[in-house]
Amino acid sequence: MRISTAHRYESAIESLQQRQIEMANSQLQLTSGKKINQASDDPIAASRAERALAGISRSDANQRSLEASRNVMQLSESSIGDSVELLQQARESLVAAGNGSYTDKERQTVAIRLKEIRNQLLTVANRPDGGGGFVFGGQGSASPPFIDAIGGVQFVGQGGEIQASAGEALNLTVDGQQVWLKGKTGNGVYTTAPASTNTGAAWITAGSVSNPSALPYPAAASATPPQYTVEFAVTAGVTTYSILKDGGGTAISNVNYQSGKGIEIDGMSFSIAGQPSDLDTFTLNQSSNSLSVFDALDSAINSLSQSNQNSGKITQAVNKGLSDLDSILGNVQAARSAVGESLNRMDGIENRISSSKIAAQTERSNAEDLDMTEGISNFQNQQAGYEAALKSYAMVQKLSLFQYING
Amino acid sequence: MGSGLLSLGTRAMFANQAKLDTISNNISNANTEGYSRQEVQLSTENGRFTGAGFYGRGVKVDTVSRSANTFLTREANVNNAMASADKARLDKLKQLEKALPTGEAGVGYAAGELLNSFVDVANQPQDLSARQVALSRAEALASRMRNAGSQLDTLQAGVASDIKTTVATINSLAVQIADMNQKIASVTGSGHDPNDMLDKRDLLIKQLSEKIHISTVAAPDGSMSVFIGGGQQLVLSNHAESMGVAVDDFDAAKLKITIGSYSGQTPVDESQITGGTLAGLLEVQNKDIDNARNLLGQMASAISWRVNQQQSFGLDLSTPPTAGAALFDVGPPQVLASRNNTSSQVTPPVSMTIVDARNLQASDYSLEESSATPGSYTLTRLSDKQAWTVNNGDQIDGFTINIGATVATGDKFLLRPVASAAVNMKRVLDKPTGIAAASPITGTVEATNKGTSTVGSLKVTASPSAPYQNINIVFTTASAAGEGYELRDSTNNVLGTGTWVAGSPISYNGFELQLNGVPKDGDVVKVALTQYPASSNGNALSMLALRDEDLVGRVKQTSGANAPGATVTNAYAQIIGNIGVQVQDAQTSSDISSTLAANATELLSNLTGVNLDEEAARLIQFQQAYQAAAKILQVAQTVFDTLLNINR
Repeated sequence: MRISTAHRYESAIESLQQRQIEMANSQLQLTSGKKINQASDDPIAASRAERALAGISRSDANQRSLEASRNVMQLSESSIGDSVELLQQARESLVAAGNGSYTDKERQTVAIRLKEIRNQLLTVANRPDGGGGFVFGGQGSASPPFIDAIGGVQFVGQGGEIQASAGEALNLTVDGQQVWLKGKTGNGVYTTAPASTNTGAAWITAGSVSNPSALPYPAAASATPPQYTVEFAVTAGVTTYSILKDGGGTAISNVNYQSGKGIEIDGMSFSIAGQPSDLDTFTLNQSSNSLSVFDALDSAINSLSQSNQNSGKITQAVNKGLSDLDSILGNVQAARSAVGESLNRMDGIENRISSSKIAAQTERSNAEDLDMTEGISNFQNQQAGYEAALKSYAMVQKLSLFQYING
Repeated sequence: MGSGLLSLGTRAMFANQAKLDTISNNISNANTEGYSRQEVQLSTENGRFTGAGFYGRGVKVDTVSRSANTFLTREANVNNAMASADKARLDKLKQLEKALPTGEAGVGYAAGELLNSFVDVANQPQDLSARQVALSRAEALASRMRNAGSQLDTLQAGVASDIKTTVATINSLAVQIADMNQKIASVTGSGHDPNDMLDKRDLLIKQLSEKIHISTVAAPDGSMSVFIGGGQQLVLSNHAESMGVAVDDFDAAKLKITIGSYSGQTPVDESQITGGTLAGLLEVQNKDIDNARNLLGQMASAISWRVNQQQSFGLDLSTPPTAGAALFDVGPPQVLASRNNTSSQVTPPVSMTIVDARNLQASDYSLEESSATPGSYTLTRLSDKQAWTVNNGDQIDGFTINIGATVATGDKFLLRPVASAAVNMKRVLDKPTGIAAASPITGTVEATNKGTSTVGSLKVTASPSAPYQNINIVFTTASAAGEGYELRDSTNNVLGTGTWVAGSPISYNGFELQLNGVPKDGDVVKVALTQYPASSNGNALSMLALRDEDLVGRVKQTSGANAPGATVTNAYAQIIGNIGVQVQDAQTSSDISSTLAANATELLSNLTGVNLDEEAARLIQFQQAYQAAAKILQVAQTVFDTLLNINR
């Protein structure tokens, strides 16, 4: 076998170049810190890294959506907190207004105070979310969503909540209509009210449920709920009352009236106190989701602002106001706990988002990052190999017979 | 006797001189490309007969021969042809790969960012800056698509230019070979091989086979005929044919190869060109660039179409709010008429309409009249050669084919539904208010409902068949199957009925309502027109949901159902994976073929090349032989002198 000298040089140069290319590749990997600098370095890992990168940006997007929701939820949490405080103040004022020694003037002062509170509550209900929307704006509303119209405050918009992201149930608004305008009337099961034509000084309590299984409420969807009427008759100084159900008689008929004594019918227990006049009536009806915080305050304010009222009317107004405020407080607290719960849930969601982001980052790093130890040791290997190749090249090229021919 | 000695010595000196000359020539040409080691062939002169037997008459020079081996030469040429084909393809593919970068610089990332930006639009639908960001992201996606598309176009232009240069080189080499044939034939009669000319011709043939795979046949007159794939003759004796390039029948940016005399060129079957730079370039042009372009275009078309569709489902922020306008434009699908068509080539009588871009496949299609049954047409998907018999108006792979009446017999068309989509992709929406973030309808649950149902999601999935109106969904009858409901309009007319089952949506007039919880009899869920589109984000959420939709490359099954496609992210990951594998394959075949070529070249050059150590040894050997021969003359002179001195 012969070896062509020219070819030997050529192939030696070629393999030196090849080694240089390999070293340059290793160097590129070391400087970029990535073992994959183009897809062909490892197509499968490149695809994996691509998917992982999408996962990372998706986590970022989900985090932004979570932040937006958290911002609104915190705003509504504090708004509801404010409103609870305001409602407590209103309650205290109302309790004070019930004081029998109060003069009309004093009651009117309380009414002015309630008016102030009502206006503050309206501001809370119309609190903006800082991004052009409203915390209690539902699924879209006029700006602001709650409008102080003739006949009371109205919600101008569409109920429900705007959702933040498709993946998790996070809200960007609170259903304000539900919080502020959809409290349970009465005691939550039924309502009690005096007729507006009553002339006596009697008042009715909000009542309670004594036997849930006997309750006529809630009535079936298709049926009209029954209405009870307590009718008073005063004959020869003796006050009696009868209870009618939808105009028809019941077991309670012409019972002697005793102020403050409990009356019970069909599982409902309430009492009427004070002195009713002849033909005064009180009605009981099914409770509905239509109690507006503003209407309740408006009606209390209205009652307290009037002069020369009998004590029964005042007590009735205070009583109703207090029971309404309690119902509203319950409603608002429920909303607050829903918001708190969703804030709570967000911590869990945030954990999930960040752990899926870390998983994606790890996946990406595994797929395309260079193991530095491996990279450096490869590079050193190649360096040593290149040095050896250079040395042997220099040594071999000295070996020529011509070196030894003298003369 | 003495004269014999003199002539013996002279001959020996002459022979050794010839040897030394050739060795010097070998040393001189040790590094000359294509040079084959030469050797002087010596033989003994026939002996002189005397009564005492045969006396040797010394040495004679027969000829100067070169070390050559036809088989090894051919082997080296074939392997070189393969290696240079693979190398040409690899070089171009590496450029192609650069057009489709990975990671943050890639198209897939830009598409993901666009869809993710709808999170911010959904968070603050009134915020113009979030909308502006979404628009910028859309522009980023479109410009990356355009950029990648135009890089592919530039690559195609580069390939075309390389093909032209290669063909010019082939022609020049063919002429030189023919020329060399002529010269070699003219000296073949001398009885000695014209070694240096043969070397030169071998070198030309080697250079030619790097450009195109050839086969050679030697003729008795010493000339060498050259044939390219399929037995097409390129050089015959002293005549060379000429190769040419012509524009592709359909696509003016592509080239095809022709061969013939200068007066008439005929197309070459490109599948027969199996090696050499030209083969590599043609494969890149005909396969790799088209493939990348179609994959990218498929993704561009699908995203644009789906985003535009979702835009049209929503309401924008203008006053009054209107259905969203298109966000992207990818231009119309291309129909290329063959230049041999008799029907109009400017406005081809065939056109395509995209029906559902999610079903588009990454392929070109050919359309021609079926030869068996004139009047019906055969559509062939070029990526997998799937063929259909089609008529005007038929729908295949997401597009409808419109075949006009003026199509003439023999006309051929190339349909490219997606090839130009990436390079033409533009953002066409400029106003941030134009983004349709709002859903046209809003679902609300009545406060008086007894059940636990809430609106899980309300999505528009198709264009409404009738204008939207306020609809009450009234749950009427519970049964074992589910909860029966009626759809009623504002005047309580029943529009439709159905049974709700947990988990399945209530669909009507293009919308799908998904409920959480369980409704009870008498409950009402309202689907009303959105009153305040400024704060609605329903459609932005649907845009966001496109992240998970399999919108690229759905395949319609024969049953009519769709086999799922890829999500945007997966589609791009598949593209770069696909191209990456292609480059890797090309790299592997290039590695293999270049090793084979190197081995073959080494074998050949070990036989034909010059080894300087060997030449040095021979130099000393023949120097000494020369000195010995000179000594013979000296002896002859002494002998002669001795003879002359006898008379003194």
